[in-house]
Amino acid sequence: MSPTTRPGPRTLTRRTLLAVSAAGLAAAAAGCTSSPPVDERDTVTSAQADELAAQVGVQETLVRAYETAFDADPALAAAAGVLATQAGEQLDRLRAAAPGSSPSAAPPADAPPPGEGQAWLRAQVAAAASSHAAAALGQSGARAALLGSIAAGLRGHEARLA
Amino acid sequence: MADDETTGTSAEDAALNTALAAEHAAVWGYGAVGAALGADGRAAAAAAEAGHREVRDRLITLLDGRGAEPVLPEAGYELPFPVLSPVDAAALAVVLEEGVTAAWVRVLGQAAERTTRALAVEVLGPAEVRAVGWREAAGRTPVTSALPGLPAT
Repeated sequence: MSPTTRPGPRTLTRRTLLAVSAAGLAAAAAGCTSSPPVDERDTVTSAQADELAAQVGVQETLVRAYETAFDADPALAAAAGVLATQAGEQLDRLRAAAPGSSPSAAPPADAPPPGEGQAWLRAQVAAAASSHAAAALGQSGARAALLGSIAAGLRGHEARLA
Repeated sequence: MADDETTGTSAEDAALNTALAAEHAAVWGYGAVGAALGADGRAAAAAAEAGHREVRDRLITLLDGRGAEPVLPEAGYELPFPVLSPVDAAALAVVLEEGVTAAWVRVLGQAAERTTRALAVEVLGPAEVRAVGWREAAGRTPVTSALPGLPAT
């Protein structure tokens, strides 16, 4: 570690490291950010609302993809069931962030080829992650944080399915 | 809540500096991670450390360019627990990656600039992928996270 001129040790506890953002993060997750009463970051435009609703649809499609892949490959269901559960949790959070949205979830565009369910599912996960990541750029405040978190979580799923 | 003067890019800069502090801690912490790992794991730790160094340097350049003072690394850090084995090392790496991830998700929540959100999204994916690998090495379950960086509801 490079020496610095700043005095005082810093305890690298889990609490310390996570505390660097915990307060603001909790506020962001609650849709309450650290600014004046009306924060532009949490003022949603109609375009942002539409895009968030679209991401609900993207996630619904992904949840269906998990079901489709598991139907085709029961062994995959046993190995990757927790990923499907987490995809469902992500969908719940997206729906909560976009109340009143009624997206039209499209079924997966194709079905997994025989014996290639895991690779097919991984591609579906990667596509959803990319979609959420791109959508995060056009959002702000808690919605951007949520989409970015989900995209990162899905990158972890993608790695797990490699 | 912060004071009312913390708005727009100042809030964004503050969040970026918080992320920089987490990156400084990660760079330091991976030294301890690597020291407790075997040759194979040490390569993964070195790669992770290099990734965090790169992000740290980008953040310093970004904040400097804005006229915001980049936070310096702490003069010293203490480990949260003894790191005496590869499992301990993996557990520490999980702490480091999750700390960085939380900081970057906060950046997303505070960002006023689209380019800042793009940087955060770019950083978050690899951090979570590394965390998945370290959770597995540490024997954690599940190894994946539905909402990395966000507090549980």
